[in-house]
Formats: sequence, structure tokens, C-alpha cells
Amino acid sequence: MTGWVTDVHPTREELDACVHCGLCLPHCPTFRLTGNEAASPRGRITAMRAVNDGVLSVDEDFEEMLGFCLGCRACEAVCPGLVPYGRLFEGARAEIAAQRPTLVSSLRRRVLGRVLPTRRLVETGSGVVRILQKMRRLLPGAVGARLDGLRDLSDNPPSSLGRVAEPEGKPVATVGLLAGCVMDSWFGAVHHASIDLLRRAGYRVIVPRGQTCCGALAAHDGAAADAKRLAEVNRSAFAGVDIVVADAAGCSAHLADYRHWVDGGIDAETKDITVVIAEAIADGRLPTLEGDDPVVYQDPCHLRHAQRVTEEPRTIVRASGHRVTEIDPDGICCGAAGIYSVLRPRAAGELGTRKADQVRATGLTTVVSANPGCEMQLRTHLGDSYRVIHPVELYRERLLAESV
Amino acid sequence: MTLFDELVAVTDPERVTDRPFDLHLHSADAGLRTGEATVVVFAETTEEVCDVVRLAARHGVPLVARGAGTGLAAGAVPTEGGIVLTLTRMNTISDIDPVNRTAWVGPGVINLDLSRATAPFDLHFAPDPSSQQACTIGGNIANNSGGPHCLSEGSTVNHILAIEMVMADGEVVILGGAAPDPIGLDLRGVVVGSEGTLGIVIRALVKLTPDPPEVRTMLCAFPTVEGAAAAVSGIIAAGVVPAALEMMDQGMLVAVENWLHAGFPTESAAALIAEVHCAPEAADAEVDVIREVAEQEGATEVRVARDEAERALIWKGRKSAFGAIAQTAPNYYLHDTVVPRTRLVETISEMYRIADDADLTMMNVFHAGDGNLHPLIAFDATEPGMADKVHAAADEMVAACVARGGVLSGEHGIGAEKRDLMGTVFTELDLDAQARLKHVFDPDRVLNPRKILPAGSRCFDYGGSPLPEGTWI
Ligand SMILES: Cc1cc2nc3c(=O)[nH]c(=O)nc-3n(C[C@H](O)[C@H](O)[C@H](O)COP(=O)(O)OP(=O)(O)OC[C@H]3O[C@@H](n4cnc5c(N)ncnc54)[C@H](O)[C@@H]3O)c2cc1C
Ligand code: SF4
Ligand code: SF4
Repeated sequence: MTGWVTDVHPTREELDACVHCGLCLPHCPTFRLTGNEAASPRGRITAMRAVNDGVLSVDEDFEEMLGFCLGCRACEAVCPGLVPYGRLFEGARAEIAAQRPTLVSSLRRRVLGRVLPTRRLVETGSGVVRILQKMRRLLPGAVGARLDGLRDLSDNPPSSLGRVAEPEGKPVATVGLLAGCVMDSWFGAVHHASIDLLRRAGYRVIVPRGQTCCGALAAHDGAAADAKRLAEVNRSAFAGVDIVVADAAGCSAHLADYRHWVDGGIDAETKDITVVIAEAIADGRLPTLEGDDPVVYQDPCHLRHAQRVTEEPRTIVRASGHRVTEIDPDGICCGAAGIYSVLRPRAAGELGTRKADQVRATGLTTVVSANPGCEMQLRTHLGDSYRVIHPVELYRERLLAESV
Repeated sequence: MTLFDELVAVTDPERVTDRPFDLHLHSADAGLRTGEATVVVFAETTEEVCDVVRLAARHGVPLVARGAGTGLAAGAVPTEGGIVLTLTRMNTISDIDPVNRTAWVGPGVINLDLSRATAPFDLHFAPDPSSQQACTIGGNIANNSGGPHCLSEGSTVNHILAIEMVMADGEVVILGGAAPDPIGLDLRGVVVGSEGTLGIVIRALVKLTPDPPEVRTMLCAFPTVEGAAAAVSGIIAAGVVPAALEMMDQGMLVAVENWLHAGFPTESAAALIAEVHCAPEAADAEVDVIREVAEQEGATEVRVARDEAERALIWKGRKSAFGAIAQTAPNYYLHDTVVPRTRLVETISEMYRIADDADLTMMNVFHAGDGNLHPLIAFDATEPGMADKVHAAADEMVAACVARGGVLSGEHGIGAEKRDLMGTVFTELDLDAQARLKHVFDPDRVLNPRKILPAGSRCFDYGGSPLPEGTWI
């Protein structure tokens, strides 16, 4: 038995936190789909423990078990034993990368660890996507469908990198905004809304040029060395700011866990944009608007489960003059899960369909979600008669409409 | 054909596995004991279950039914090897009848999902084990599971009207029916609690209970465990039978609070959770009685949940308690004994004394109203000699309960874990009668063999030794 080979492997102490009570099982999307212990959080943890104890090795089955996991961390949020599943998952994925590399998976990790963090390459890629979007009707179904979740890239506003926005009075604090890998080129409007709202809330906002991709996708896929390198770059790029803010739930969750990748983590508070804006609304630094139009709110796993942030985005939706309609008491993953929807189309499709059905059952056509992955997945499964939008965009839209 | 190939032939290649990881993961439940599965099958239909049972019988290999694997007594652990038959995929709820308050439910339906499905009709399934978010109806039936609210509503056996079951020969029978008192021998009570040793439950007609008109949930903090225990019998003696009456000691309160941040009184030695279900006019009076008794027994704080959110939080804390142990130690071992309510105070003191003497960490969280104790020893199984020390103390605790007129298991079942303690509460004659019953249902001992009944339970194969083989007393 080979055991572990990397320095980020799941540790005995982390694994010992699980008393295999099974309370996490029904919260796990893959267990819900299969009813199989091997597709459950407890099963995955027990499998890691078996490797740790030298009973079994990192083999094909171990790889499949962890490959099927969405990394949604629903199990972590409900675990009364405080098992750090997200960390265990990244450690186990890194082991798989180290012990069972294949041509395809190594290439994929290279893309996540090297290409996505390279701005020039992302811009070139986005140019190609823009052209493909224009020829959408000529493309074969499967390829075309991949594009349906995206926003129309020709509407994407100019890059926010390098911007500095000053508030009217004395700044409450300085916020460093994470531009992300594809957020800037694909969801640029979210950055624009975030920067404007932060400024209005009294923050000085900077979008440092020296920053890079947060490294979440690399970390989830086991590209540990890249994840460490990216975390170090961002640690220096954001030196001196008071709060590092990300407006994609996946990124803010990863920033919050930077201590797993770089000593001491990032040297500032890290927060999701929805938390900062909700605080400003609660303090009266941003207004609460009148209105009661119902919209659906969808919890991104990396807010709800990884960061336990559920109230803040709802506060923003309410303050924008809308009523929140709930769809899923358990917040089961929509199946997007980073690149999961590409790697595991079947499971992702089942979860996406389930989520879309829940939305359709409400009869409403606007869905608010604070993560780009969820947004694309929802749009793919709902079609273009639905509007999927980030809470800060919804709020700013109303704010501007009111002030006219 | 090998057993594996035959299983594939009657089910689906994707639902039969003997891969090492799959076998390893299906060889344990939520307890400590492990076994060694030979093959794991996921059934989806009645026909498949019948075929699998027949194959097991023909090949002479044990067949162990498995629900969610939250059992604590190794009921679903393949201690003798063989087929683990997982029933989680048979999870259909059909024929919800709001007028007669019944529904047909597959064995793999999760307990809480059933109550959620019937919520639109203001009905719920009353047995609510603390594991209800995860455990299945099949497991509940097999273990005759209880829960906090079984104090007023009774355990699973009181809520099962009919059971559709595959017998050891692969035939399907329906026991009981929609009528409250079926004609002929009522075998439901035999099957509920039989832990998968008499047949495989494939469907059940369950009784649904109307949601209470008024609910009040109280949290009372006590400076001593004995005070809390005295309040338990005091409340009931005062003429109030709360819907639920649960106790958590300080160790548990701290662990749960660390995770949930719900405002549990972590400074107190113990807390009681009391819930009353009644007509709106009666609620205040019942709350007052409980408050009065609690204060007489020294309660330092009596809190009534202000709204549904606060109430839900209190229950979430209570029901997650076992899992929260993980913060203290990687393993826990617990018993599930029941003592007469009037002897609760002395029994609890005795539990702490035993743990103290053995220098072990013990916490308590239990269904106090029923006198159903869960003294829970937290430890690290990798420490040399630890497991033996824990078992010795645990056995002493059982003996202390039995000596006070208690029984072995309130709700978790006997399985393999408590099997060898059966002799402490049953005579040879009792065990023989139970073994004969098992023989009628399963003469070839295919279904979950060597569970519940210690080896040699039948008089004619009794070796004369009062301590059956494999005993770790
Ligand atoms: C945190 C925690 C809290 C708990 N709280 C309580 C509590 O408050 N009250 C309580 O009573 N228990 C409690 N338990 C114990 C456990 O949850 C219950 O015994 C539960 O009913 C087991 O259900 P399961 O689906 O997990 O069954 P499993 O563990 O999978 O199986 C249990 C037994 O049922 C048999 N079985 C399963 N399905 C079938 C079937 N279809 N036909 C025949 N036999 C079958 C198995 O062979 C086994 O013997 C708790 C456990 C945990 C981990
Ligand atoms: S991860 Fe947590 S909830 Fe899940 S089995 Fe382990 S201790 Fe229980
Ligand atoms: S991260 Fe999500 S998919 Fe993975 S084990 Fe946890 S709940 Fe299941």
C-alpha cells in the first residue's frame, strides 16, 4: 500500500474528526442520486482513512469516488463534529493528481493552474467564444449547448483591472477586489456593480493589477503546486488593503481558506461581496428600497455551505425592493461545481434539471444567484426566457432606476 | 455461475459490487464494530429483493439488509460476511391518504423526508430518532426506533399498520393491514424490532400523526445533573406528560454549542429540553407546571423558545449531539439502557462514578422522559488497551442499570454489539423461545445471522455455559 505522497494529504487528525455518524448523508447530492455509501461524505472520509491507515491505496476506485464528489461542502456545513471536508477533499484530489496522473488530467490541471490565471490567454479564449456565440445557430447541439449558459460576451464591459474608485467622504476602509480568472472577461458587469456599490457604501476600492486567479479550480482538481503559487501571488498583490472582496462565491470561499495554501493566509479580512454590501445596508450606508416584487434566490454552495452565508444575499435582494422566494430547504448543489458540469455531465445534468424544476414550480422568471458557475448552470437548464442575475446587479439596477 | 454473476443477472451490473473500497465502506455502520462484506447489492424492486434472498439461501451465504447505516448496534454490519443488500434506492412514498392518515412507504425513504412529504396535509410520522434526517424507515422498523417525541407518541411499532416483507424463502407476505386490529395473529409486532433477522421489509403502511395545534419548547438549565434528573420524574409526577423530555449534560452542551452557536447554557451541569403539545388554552398552564418543578429542583434558567426558528435550533442541537462528540475524541461507545424513571437520579450518579473511576470521558445526552440512557464514552481507539477499558466500563454501566430493574436497549437494537449481553436480562428459556421464533421464519439462518441472539440460544444446542462464545464481558 502506497499511502500518501504529497505534503497536503489528508491528515490523521483531520480524519479523526469524523465519528461516522452518517448525519451528513442525506445532504450530499451524490448520495441522494445513488443511495450509495461510496458516494457519500462518510464513505469518502472512510476511504481516505483506509488509505491513511494503509488498508487500501489510491487506486482507480478511490479516484472515481473523489471524482464524483462535487466539492459542494454541504456535508461540512451539517457536520456537528466540525470535520473539515473541504480541506480533506483538496488534499485527496492532490494525492490523485500526484499518484495517478494521466495525459488528459495533467493537461486539464495545466489549464486550471496555468492557463486560466494568464490574462492574455483568457482574453484570447474569450475572443474565440465571442465569435462562436455569434455563430451559435451553426454549431452542433452539444457544443452550442455549452455556450448557452454564458452571458453574451459582446456586452461585457471594459476590464476592471487597475481601477481605483474613491468614495465621496473619508473611506470606511480600503477594499481590494479580486478580478478572478474569467469573471472580468465573462461577468464584467458584476465587477462594475460591485465597485460602484462599494464606493457608494463608503469604501475606497482598488483592483490591483498584480493579482491573479484565486486558484480554487486548481486546488479542487489537485494542482496543489499551482494553487500554492497563485495564493502567494495574491497575498503580495493585496498587501496593504483592509478587506479582500470577491464577487464570485467560489472565489471568496477559497480566499477564506488561503491558510491551507500559504502560511498565515491572506494578510487582510476576506469577505464575499454580499457580506460587505449587506453590512452597509444594515448600517444605513446603502439605502433600503421600497417594493415587493417576488424573485427566486438560489444559494450557491460556496456561500451557503462553505461560508455559511445565507442571510446576507437575501438582505440585498430585499433591500432592492424584492421579495425572496425560496426553492430548496437543503440548498442541494445545482451541479455546476466549477468544472464538474463539463467532467460529469450526467450527474450535473440531473442536479441542474432538479434545480430548474424547483425554479419553474414557483412560476417566477428572475433567479438571483451570487456565483458565476451557478448562473451558467441555471441559464443552461432554464433557457433564455429566464433572467439569472447576481444580487449586487439586481440591487444596483434598482438603485439607479430610483435615482433617475 | 458465481454468486456475483448471478446477482448481476437478477439486478444490474452497476448495482452489484465487490470492489475493495465498496466492501470496506459497507462493512460498518455508525457504531464501532466492523465486518467483512463479500458483495454489495443495491436493490430497486421487490422482484430483485426476492431474487437476491433466494440466491443467498441457495449459496448458503448470510444476507444483511442495510438502510442508511446509522445504526449503533452493528445490525447492518456483515459480521459473518455475505451479501449486504442496500435498500436506499427503494424510496418511494405512495398513496398518502390524508383522511385515514396513512401512507405506503418504501424501506429506503428517509424518516424526515416522509414527514416533509406529508407536511402539506399537516401530518407527520411521529417516531423521530435523533438521526431522523438520515435514517431510513426500513432501519426504523428493524430497530423499532424511538426518538424524543416517542415519550407521548410511542416508538415505531405504534405507527406501523402493515408490513410487506420478503421471507427467507423469497416469498412476499403482507402482515397487518389498514385496520387497526388485523384478524388472526398480529405478526407486525414480531417483525418490528427484528433487525433484519426475520425478513426484508420492502414496503410499509405507516400511520401518520396530525401536527399538534400548539407547541411550546423549553430549555431549562441546572447546576447539577441530579437536579435535572429529579425534575424529570417530578414533571411527570406533577401530572404533565410532555411530548418530549430530553437531557444533555455539560460536555454535550459545550460540544454542540461549539458547532451550532445556538445559545445553549454551556455553564450549566445539565439542561433539560421539554416540549409540550396541546390545545392552545392548555399550553401556558403546562409550561407553568414544568417551570415550577424545574425551579424547585434548582433550575437556574428556564427559557421558552419564542418562535419556530428558536425551537428548530434547540432540536437541531439536541439531534446532532452524537456527531458533535467528534470534537472530543475520534470514537465513542454508548449504551442504550432503560431504567425506571424513579431511579434515574441514582443511576446517573452511578454512571459518572464508573466513568470517573476508570478515568474515562463520559457525556450524556438522552431521552430522559423514558428513562432511556445513552451514557457515551468518548475515546481514541488507537490508544493501546483503550477499547478493553471502555468495554469494561460500559459493561459495568449496563450491569448498574440492569440491577436497578433496567433493560438492555431502549431503541438502538441489539445487533451484534449488545448480543452477548442478552444473557444478563433473559433466561435460557426466554432465549430459547426467541431462537425458535427465528427458526420458524428463517430455518437456514440466512437473514442477518448471529445478530440479537447469542450463540447457543436454543436449549438443545446450549453448551451449558452461561457465557456464550465470542463474549467480551
Ligand atoms: C447521531 C445518531 C442519533 C441516533 N438517534 C437515535 C434515536 O434517537 N433513537 C433511535 O431509536 N435510534 C437512534 N439512532 C440509531 C439509528 O439511527 C436507528 O437505529 C435507525 O433506525 C437506523 O436506521 P438506518 O436506516 O440507518 O438503518 P441501518 O443502520 O442501515 O440498519 C439498522 C438495522 O436495520 C436492518 N434493516 C435496514 N433496512 C431493513 C429492511 N428494509 N428490512 C429489514 N431490515 C432492515 C439492518 O439489517 C440493521 O439490522 C441514532 C444514530 C445516530 C448515528
Ligand atoms: S462527516 Fe461529520 S456528519 Fe458526516 S459522518 Fe463524519 S462526523 Fe458524521
Ligand atoms: S462535498 Fe458535496 S458532493 Fe462531496 S461529499 Fe460533501 S456533500 Fe457530497
